[in-house]
Amino acid sequence: MTMVAGCDVGSLTTKAVILKNNQLVATSLIRSKAKPQESARIAMDEVYGKAEVSEREIQYCVGTGYGREKLAFVNEAKSEISCHGKGAKWLMPSVKTIIDIGGQDCKVIKIDASGQAVKFVTNDKCASGTGRFLEVMAKVLGIDINELGSQTAKSKSPITMASTCTVWAQADVISFIHAGVPLEDIGAGINLAMAKRIATLANTVKPEKDICMTGGVAKNAGVLSLLEDLLGCRFKKIRKSDPQLAGAIGAALFAREQITEK
Amino acid sequence: MRPEIKEYNFDWMLGSLLKTAANIGNCSEKEIKTLLNYVPYYKGTLEVLLREGEVGTCFIRLLDKYFDNILNAHQNRKKIVGITFCLSPTLFHAMDIVPVTLEVMTGLCGLLWKRGAYDYLDHGVELGFTETSCSSQRGSLGAYLAGLGEEIDFLVCDTPGVCDTNANAFAFASEFMEKPFFQLNYPYIIGDEKTKKYQLDDYKDLIVFLEEQTGTKLDQDRLREVLQEVDVQDDLLAEIEDFYCLIPSPIPILFNLFMYMGRFLFSGMPEYTELLTLMLEKVQDNAKNGLSGLHQTQEKARIFMCYIDHYTLDMKFFDWINQQGIAHLGAILSRNFRDNTRYAPDFQKSTYGIDTSSLETMLTSMSEMNATLPMVRSIRGPFDQPNMWLEESISLARMYQADCVIYNGTPGCRNTWGMVKPFAKEVEKAGFPVHIMYGDAFDDRVESWESSVNRLQEFFSIRGIL
Repeated sequence: MTMVAGCDVGSLTTKAVILKNNQLVATSLIRSKAKPQESARIAMDEVYGKAEVSEREIQYCVGTGYGREKLAFVNEAKSEISCHGKGAKWLMPSVKTIIDIGGQDCKVIKIDASGQAVKFVTNDKCASGTGRFLEVMAKVLGIDINELGSQTAKSKSPITMASTCTVWAQADVISFIHAGVPLEDIGAGINLAMAKRIATLANTVKPEKDICMTGGVAKNAGVLSLLEDLLGCRFKKIRKSDPQLAGAIGAALFAREQITEK
Repeated sequence: MRPEIKEYNFDWMLGSLLKTAANIGNCSEKEIKTLLNYVPYYKGTLEVLLREGEVGTCFIRLLDKYFDNILNAHQNRKKIVGITFCLSPTLFHAMDIVPVTLEVMTGLCGLLWKRGAYDYLDHGVELGFTETSCSSQRGSLGAYLAGLGEEIDFLVCDTPGVCDTNANAFAFASEFMEKPFFQLNYPYIIGDEKTKKYQLDDYKDLIVFLEEQTGTKLDQDRLREVLQEVDVQDDLLAEIEDFYCLIPSPIPILFNLFMYMGRFLFSGMPEYTELLTLMLEKVQDNAKNGLSGLHQTQEKARIFMCYIDHYTLDMKFFDWINQQGIAHLGAILSRNFRDNTRYAPDFQKSTYGIDTSSLETMLTSMSEMNATLPMVRSIRGPFDQPNMWLEESISLARMYQADCVIYNGTPGCRNTWGMVKPFAKEVEKAGFPVHIMYGDAFDDRVESWESSVNRLQEFFSIRGIL
């Protein structure tokens, strides 16, 4: 029997998973705290509780995400790109290209048949192509971030807005609100701005099918459908688990490899 | 600009610091250890430099001399010229003019001060430069525009048609400081007879300008002496660079920085010859004993820098690659394209020779040497002409058996940053993984070193290099 864990400390959320014999037995997703160690501790305690196991029963734990080097309890730290590649492959075995949009960065990763990342590209500019962008915009619109995705389907005339700077985009949104533009058109414009930036980034590595999205923004139906239109192909939807957990799952899979190799 | 920054001249602060550092070089190990406690802010940088032994201390002495020359120029009845790193200082040394190379001084601020050149960079913005203008130039230029340096007497640049951002900044500085200004121009086509003649005529006009500014005629014998020194230096450079072909590379990581910084500041000066001689001895010694140039680690990977290094505090970039076991195979900046280099045969019509037989041949040699400098020719753009930045980078990476190519620069660099992605695609096609660092070599506020190193680690790990 193998019992391993993966912990992904992101800028906005922290995720932890436990894999028992290659089966996902418990997951945890919390809002990140100021200190990565604290976020990781809370997420891990939560996932142990859900799985009804103690830390001592975990044979190997891999950490990833921006706070990975700060985690005292992990056996090893792995890069986010490797973990997202590995995790996405496990969630969607036919995947070749992964578009991961996290809280403060976005990445497009191409993987080989074994799930090994072979090419990747990350955003080179500010937060306007990331989860934080959507979060800020949803707040300005006064809606929950989960409602933002559905605005695209409702809109008849999406607005065009600044897409290189989150703060300027925020100013645009406020102006549109004051001008009485319907909320769904503003929401759809936000999703479109986001999708266009990601599509440009993705096109630089020539995405190959099957494509899937991971990270929190994968749950935004508006961005997802617009990205499909812009890239000219349908994405494979991850249904096996929450796409936001891909990094933590990848980390746990690396942990599992360590155990089985031993 | 903060009022306290205006209390001291920027060149005096750098010069004083390097003067202390130069004295440390003469101390015993125990004395150095004690003294370093008194310089907490640049201790890290000094430690990395002193690790290079005699070569490191010689380099510090050279920098000390550079600032001594600037700070005492007027007292010694010499004129100061503001120039760019793409302009060879050889002619100025031959005419006893003290060159201030703006980009190198900004780089030194980054390496030596915790606050880098931030205050001067921001002063440049206060005067109207954009935040995305060339930071390498804007840093020290900001200080001079604030009047915080030994007065510059005149300006010379050679970037019209090469880097208009740079040229425009010089033109503005000339107006702002009310100082005379000369620009060498560069035609689109390089290496043909028409262009060579144009460059030579332009260079002759520069000499007339310099004679007017200094009130002194160019001394042929002195020019010959300086050019003969350059000739020796070119031979030494070519010989050192040849050792990059060995695996492991016997060349310590910092040597490349010493080579190009030395060339931009001291080309033609005997002190630079002394430095290069010491470097060659060290490299030959390492090669003879089959040693890598890395300190206390084995060579695990080899990188070629296709533009510049990262000039952050404590030389963290250089120290980090050393810790990882990565050999630095040089940057495109150090390549002078002299006709006797190993790579010269691949770049016909892009090299220069030195002929000191007559004034005309000496001027031709200098104008051609200048036309091969970084940016004037090499980094004008990857698709500007055949046999330039793109081909050179691929050729050198191949010759030195690099595992990958790393780009580091500044978002203000229109020539490289502006075209780095298409460039990277072509280099990848040639079989070399490429990493583009998104930071600014001269301004850590664009991307912190900590973020840069995370991305570097990711690259080396994902591409299976480390």
